[in-house]
Amino acid sequence: MELNITNISKTYPNGVAALKHVSLRIPKGMYGLLGPNGAGKSTLMRILATLQDPSEGTIHLGETDVLNSKDEVRKTLGYLPQEFGLYPKATAENLLDYFAVLKGFSQKASRREVVESLLKKVNLWDARRLKLGGFSGGMRQRFGIAVALLGNPKLLIVDEPTAGLDPTERVRFLNLLSELGENSVVLLSTHIVEDVSELCTNMAIINKGEILLETQPLVAIRSLRGKIWRLMIDKSRLPEIETNYQVISTKLFSGKTVVHVYSNTNPGNGFDMVEPDLEDVYFSTMTGHMGSGRKKQEVAL
Amino acid sequence: MRFRQIFRFEFRYQLSSLSTWIYFLIAFMLPFWFSEIVRPNDDAVYINSPFFLILATVFTGVIWLLSAGTIAGQAAARDVQTRMYPLVYTTPVSKLEYLGGRFSAAFLLNALIHTVIPLGFFLGFYLRKVDSGQIGPFRPEAFLSTYFYLSLPLAFYVTTCQFSVSVIRRKAIAALLVSFLLFPILSQLIGYSIANLLDKAALYKLIDLVGISVLKDIETWTPFEKNNRFIPLNGPLLWNRLIWFAIATLVLVYSYYRFTFVHQAEKSARKLRQKKADITGADVASPVPDSKIGMFPLPSFGRSARFSQLLVLTRSSFRYIAGSRTGLSLVGLYAILLVVVAGQFLQEKGVPQYATPMNVLPMITASLTNINTGLIIIPMLIAFLAGELIWRERDYGQHKMSDTMPVSEWGLFLGKYMGLALVIVLWMGFLLLAGVLIQLTQGEANIAFGVFIKALFSIQLINYLLFAMLALAVHVLVNHKYLGHVAVLLAYLFIAFAEKLGIEHTLLIYGSDPGWSYTDMRGFGPFLAPLFWYKAYWMGWALLLAVVGRLALVRTMPEGFGGRIRSIRNRFTRSTTLTTLAGFAIILVTGSYIFYNTNVLNEYVSSREWIKRQAGYERHYRKYLDSPQPRITGTKITVELYPQHRKATIRGSYKLVNLTPVPIDTICLDIKPEVETRNIRFTRTARAVVEDRLHGFNIYTLQKPLQPGDSLQMNFEVVWQSKGFRNTNLDVSVIDNGSYFVNQERFPAIGYNLYRELRTNPERKRYGLPNWKLPSLYDSTSRQIRQGQELTSFEAIVGTDEGQTAIAPGNLVRTWKDNGRNYFHYAANAPIRHKFSIFSARYRTYTSVWKDTVSGKKRDVTFTMYYHPGHADNIERIARSVQASLTYYTRTFGPYPQDHLTIIERSGSVGDLNAEPTAIDYGEAFVLLNVNDNPQALDVIFFAMAHEIAHQWWGTGQVIPALSEGAHVMSESLANYSGLQVVEETYGEEQVRLLLKMWRDAYEVPRMAYMNSLLEANDPFLGYRKGVMALHALTGYTHKETVNNALRQLLIKYGASKPPLANTLDLYGELKAATPDSLHGLLSDYFAKNLYWQLKTDQVHAEPVDATHWKVSLQVKAKKYTIDSTGADRMEPLNDWIEIGVFAPGVASPGVATPGVASTKPLYLKKHKLTQEESTITVLVSEKPVRAGIDPNYLLFDLFPDDNQKNAKINGDRMMKGDAL
Repeated sequence: MELNITNISKTYPNGVAALKHVSLRIPKGMYGLLGPNGAGKSTLMRILATLQDPSEGTIHLGETDVLNSKDEVRKTLGYLPQEFGLYPKATAENLLDYFAVLKGFSQKASRREVVESLLKKVNLWDARRLKLGGFSGGMRQRFGIAVALLGNPKLLIVDEPTAGLDPTERVRFLNLLSELGENSVVLLSTHIVEDVSELCTNMAIINKGEILLETQPLVAIRSLRGKIWRLMIDKSRLPEIETNYQVISTKLFSGKTVVHVYSNTNPGNGFDMVEPDLEDVYFSTMTGHMGSGRKKQEVAL
Repeated sequence: MRFRQIFRFEFRYQLSSLSTWIYFLIAFMLPFWFSEIVRPNDDAVYINSPFFLILATVFTGVIWLLSAGTIAGQAAARDVQTRMYPLVYTTPVSKLEYLGGRFSAAFLLNALIHTVIPLGFFLGFYLRKVDSGQIGPFRPEAFLSTYFYLSLPLAFYVTTCQFSVSVIRRKAIAALLVSFLLFPILSQLIGYSIANLLDKAALYKLIDLVGISVLKDIETWTPFEKNNRFIPLNGPLLWNRLIWFAIATLVLVYSYYRFTFVHQAEKSARKLRQKKADITGADVASPVPDSKIGMFPLPSFGRSARFSQLLVLTRSSFRYIAGSRTGLSLVGLYAILLVVVAGQFLQEKGVPQYATPMNVLPMITASLTNINTGLIIIPMLIAFLAGELIWRERDYGQHKMSDTMPVSEWGLFLGKYMGLALVIVLWMGFLLLAGVLIQLTQGEANIAFGVFIKALFSIQLINYLLFAMLALAVHVLVNHKYLGHVAVLLAYLFIAFAEKLGIEHTLLIYGSDPGWSYTDMRGFGPFLAPLFWYKAYWMGWALLLAVVGRLALVRTMPEGFGGRIRSIRNRFTRSTTLTTLAGFAIILVTGSYIFYNTNVLNEYVSSREWIKRQAGYERHYRKYLDSPQPRITGTKITVELYPQHRKATIRGSYKLVNLTPVPIDTICLDIKPEVETRNIRFTRTARAVVEDRLHGFNIYTLQKPLQPGDSLQMNFEVVWQSKGFRNTNLDVSVIDNGSYFVNQERFPAIGYNLYRELRTNPERKRYGLPNWKLPSLYDSTSRQIRQGQELTSFEAIVGTDEGQTAIAPGNLVRTWKDNGRNYFHYAANAPIRHKFSIFSARYRTYTSVWKDTVSGKKRDVTFTMYYHPGHADNIERIARSVQASLTYYTRTFGPYPQDHLTIIERSGSVGDLNAEPTAIDYGEAFVLLNVNDNPQALDVIFFAMAHEIAHQWWGTGQVIPALSEGAHVMSESLANYSGLQVVEETYGEEQVRLLLKMWRDAYEVPRMAYMNSLLEANDPFLGYRKGVMALHALTGYTHKETVNNALRQLLIKYGASKPPLANTLDLYGELKAATPDSLHGLLSDYFAKNLYWQLKTDQVHAEPVDATHWKVSLQVKAKKYTIDSTGADRMEPLNDWIEIGVFAPGVASPGVATPGVASTKPLYLKKHKLTQEESTITVLVSEKPVRAGIDPNYLLFDLFPDDNQKNAKINGDRMMKGDAL
C-alpha cells in the first residue's frame, strides 16, 4: 500500500494558494513532512484526511481514489489533527467507545477489547473514568492518538503531534508511532526536525505550498557532508558574515552566536567543518541550497 | 480611555459581523410590512396611527428578544469561547472597564436595532404603495413615547439579563436561553398564572416585560384615541419599568461581582488535578506497555455496523441534550407548573371544572403554531437544541476527528435527529404525566391514559418531530449558528402567520393540518383520518428535508458556496436519488389525495373568495331586503341522518302566506352555500329567473301573483354529505356521535338574509359597500319580522342510526324502527319561531313534568333532557333550575306558551348555551363544572339555565326584539335580570352577590370606556353586563315589583310579536311609566347615556355617643361624567340620590368564604341626595361599625368600585374603656 499524491493544488476562496502542484509518493512506513508554519502542511494533511477538497490533482491510497471515495478511505484512516477539542463532560472510556462504534466496531465484546488495549497502550487506562475536560495537553494528545489508532488504520495522518508534549511524553508518543509504521503509511507533519530525524525513513520538505525536497534523511545528510561550516561569533558580526557567506542558520550557544554556512569549499576565516545533520538539510533546503529551491535559483541565475 | 477602546472595538467588531446586520434587517422589515401582516378591522384607525406603531413595536420586540440574544451573549463571552481570554485577562484592564465597555457596546447595538423599528414603520408608508385614505398625520411624539417607554427599557432589561447570564455561564448561547426564560416562561406562563392565581389582572402588568399588557390596554382605546393617544408612562407601566429597572441593575451588579479575571476550570477541578497528578506521576515511572497493534479485532462496515453507529450517535445526541441544563428541565418545569396551577386553569367563572380529558387536553397540547400558549417553549427549544446539535462537534473542536470517521452523513444527521426526537418523546412523557397528575390532583377518577397518549404521542409528537426535522435542516443549510436560529424562528413565524400572509392552503404550510379537537361526545371525531393523510404528506417533505440535511451537512472545512455545492454533488448517490424519489412519491400520492379531498371532493374557497362572495351577496341582492315576501307559517320536514356516512337528506315543505297588503309575484329564496338545495317546487306555476348558486340566492316569479291572504306551498330537498375532508373547518354537522345543525345554516329561507352580510368595514370598503352598522333604533323598517322570526307550525320526522336519539322541536309524538333505523316524529302544539336545530347522538334521556300551580290554568310543561351518558352530574341541578324558573317566570311575567321544553347537550368543545323556541342546547363543557363539590361558588349551571329559560319569554320565545340597536339589551339583559331573580328566590343573597360581582368584574378587565348607551346597545357587553346591572340598580332604587311590572307590561304588549317588533325604546317607555318622576333622571343616566359615576369614601370616623349609639361620619367624594367617542370625558352636574351604608361584622355562615364578597350586617343603608363633589355625612347607628361607604351595593356604574367603602376609624375607644373601669 502506497499513498500517491499527484499534482495537488489548493487555492482558497480568498485567493491564497496554499498548495501548488504538490506531488508525493509515500510508501509504507514513517514519512515526515517538514516545513515552517504556514507552509501548507496542515492543508495537505486535511486534504489527505478527507476534510477538504483540493482545487486540482488526484490522490490514491493503493487503488483507492481518496478524493472520490472518501467513505472508503475513512474506513482505514487514522487522523490526529493539529488542534482538536473533546466533549468535556464525557469520560475517556465512553468517548473512545463512541469513536470505536463510529469506526465500525459494532460488536460490544470486541469493542471493549479494542478500547481497553488502546487506553492501555496510550497509558490512559488509569484515567479512563475521568472526564476529558480535566485532561492535560499530553493526556488529550494521547487520547487523540488512541482515536487515530482505532481500527488499524492503513493511513495514519498526524499533524504537528508533538507540539504540546513534554519530553517524556514526546518519546512515548514517537515510540507509538514507530510501531505503527511497520504496517501502515504514517504521515507525520511537523516543524520539529528531530521528530523526523528520529523516526522517518522518508521525508519531504515543504514551503509556501511547494515541495522543496523529497528524500530519505540519511541520503540527504550524506549529500551535505563537507558542505556545512560553523563559526562562533559575537552577535555584532552577524551582518558582516551574512553578506559574505551563505548563512543557512544561526543559533545561540552560551551567549555567542553559532553560524552555519553552506559552502562547497572551505571558507577559511576560522570556519570549522561540521558533520551535517537533518537540521542542516532542512535549513539548506529552506535557504535554497538543496532540493527544488536550488534548481529554481540556478534557473534564476 | 481603556473603556472607550474596549467599547469601540466591541461595537465595531459586532458591526462587522453579518448576523448583526440581519438583526437590523429584521427589525426594519417586519415594521416595514406591518400593515400587510396585521390588517386593521376598523378603517377608522389609520394604519400609521400610534396604535399600530405600538403594536408593531411590541411584535418586533418579541422577535428581537427571541433572536438577537447573541449580541449581548457574544459581548459577554466571546473571549472565553475563542479562548482568547488568557491574553485579555492578563492585561491591566479593570473589571469595570472591561465589562462596562462590552456591555455598553451590546446595549448600544440593541438600542440602535430598536430605533430601526419606527424607522421601518414610517418608511413603509412612503416607500410602499398604500391607500392614502388610511394614512393619518405623522406623529413624532408617538415615536418618542413608544421608543423611550417601551423599546429602550426593553433593550436595557433584556441586554442586562442576557449579558449577565452569559458572563457568569461563560457561554454566548446562554443569552438565547435567557430570552426563552424571559418571554414565554416568565412573561407568559408564570406571569399569567400568578396573576390568575391571585385574581389580580394588574399583577400581570407588573411582570410583563415585552408590553403584551400594554397591547391589551390600548385595544380598548376608541378609534379616535388609537389615532391620537400615546402611551402614558404612569400607573402600572411606570411601576413595571421601575421594577424591571431595579431587577436589571441588581442582575448587572451581581454579575459584576461574580465575574473574575481567572481561568475557569471544570467543576471538580481541584479533585481532577489531584488525580491527574497521580496519573501523570505514575506515567513517567511505568514502562510503555509493549503491545502490538495487529492484535486488535478488525472493524466491520456491514449493515449492523451502520445500525450501531446510528444507535451510538443517537444515544450521544440524546445524552448531550438530556444532560444539559435546559434539555429536560424547562419542559419538566413547565409540566410541574401546569400541575401546580391546574386549579386556576380549570375553572370557569370561579367554578372548578372537572378534569375530564377534554378540559385537560388544551393544557397539555397546543397546535404547533399557537403562539398564545406557554407550550410555545417546545418549538422554541426544538429550534435551539437543533442548533446546539448541529454545532456540537464544532463547538467543542472535535469535528476534525469525528468528521473523518467512517460514518455516513446519514448516520451523522439522523443520529442528531433521533437524539432530538427521543428528547421530544420524553417531553411528551412529561406532559402525559402532567395530564395524569392534573386529573389525580383535581379529583378525576377516570384517568384518560388512552386519550392523552393518542393526543400526545401521535398527533403532538408527530407535529414536533416534523418541526424538529425542519429546524435541523435549516440549521445545516444556514451553517451559521446564530443566523440559523433566526432562520428557524422566521420559518416558524411563517408557519404561524401563513394565513395572514395570504397562504391558506394547508398543503403549502409546512406541518399543517385542518385541525383537531377532542370532546367526550365526539372523541377525536372525524379529525383523525385527515390528520393521518396530512402527517404522511409532511413526512414525505420531512424525508426530503432529511435528504437536504444529509447532502448539505458540513463535514469539511469551510470552503464557501462553491465548495458546498460540490460536496453536495459528490454526495448525491444512487440511493440519494432513490430516497428523494421516495420522498416525492409520498408527497405526490398523499398530496394528490389531500388535494382531491380539499379541492375536488370539496370546493376550495380562500378566505378572500369567501369575503368576495359575501360582498357579492349583499351587492346583488340587498335590494330585495324590503321587497314584499310571503311569510312562512307552516314547516314540515323529514330528515334522514346517516351519522356513519356523515350524510343528511331532508325533504321539507313550507306554507307561505301573503300577509302584506299587496299581491306578490316574486319570491326570493336565500339558499345556503354549505348544502345542495334541489327540487324546489311551488304549488303554483313559478319560473326561476335567478338561480345564483355562487351566492346562494334564487328568485322566482309567480305566473299568477299571490293575493293578500292567499297561500301556497313550497317543497324542497336539501342534501349534504361530508365527502372526505376540507382544507380547514371540517364539517361536524353529521358525525358518528353528536350531530347537530341549525336550520339557518342549512335550510332555504324566504327573502334577503341580513345575517349573511359582511361586517368588517375595511373589507366592505374594498368592495364598495358602505360601513356596516346595526340598523338604527329609529329606523322603523327594522321592526319588521326578519328571517328566523316567523311564527310557524312545526312538524318533523327525523330518522337516524340505530342506537341514537334524534331531536327536533316539538312534542315527541311517536317513535318507531324501520330498516334498522330509529325514527322520531315531533310536532309543536303551538306555533314556534322559525329557528330550530336538529340533533342526533347516543343520548340518555331524563323526563320530568313541571306542575303548574301558579297560573291557575294548569298548563303543565313536560321537559325532557337529552344528555351524554358520562355527563350526568349536573342533570338534577338543571332540572331544579327548570322547575324554579318556570314557576318564577309564570308567576311574575306570564305563562309559558308551550306544553313542552327540550334541553339538549350539544357536542363540541364550546360550552355556551343557546335558546331556541321550546328548546335549549348547551355545549359539553358547560356541564363539566363541578358545582356539586363547591357549594360556596356561584351556581353557574343553575343560573345559566334560568337565563336560557327566560329567553322563552325574552328574545326567542315571546318578546322578539327588533333587529336593531338595543337588541342585545332586549334579549340578554332581560334574560339575565330574570335569571338573577330566580337565583335570589332559590338561593338568597349570597349567590346574588356572587353573580353581581361576576358581572361587575367584567368592567375591570380592560375595555373601551366609550360605549353606546344601553338604548343603542351594539355589543354583547352592554347586553350581558351593563344592561342587567342597570335593571338591578333600578330595583335598588324602587322595588323589584316596579321593574317586574314594567316587564310584564312589555310582554302583554309585545309578547305576541306581531310587527312592529319591540326595541329598547319600548322597554325604556315601560320602565319610565312604572317609576316615579324623581327617578327619570337616573333612568336616563342608566339607559340613554354613556355615563359613569366616580364614587369614593375618603375617611370614616366612628365614635360612641352613649352605650347604644355610635356616631359615624363619612367623607365621601362623588362626581359623574360622560365619555364621548373621542375618549374625552365631560362632567355632568351631580344631583343624585346615592346610598350610604354603615356595616357591622356579619355573622359568617360556616363554610362560606367568598373572596371579594364580604359578608356583613348593614347598620344603616339610606339614600342621600348628593350635589357636591365632596361631602361629609354623619349618621347615628346602634352598634359599633367596622366599615362604611358610599354606594356600597354598587348600584351606580363606577369603574373603580373598590374604593367605595373604607374601614371605620374608631375614636374615643380608649375613653370608653376608661369609663368602664
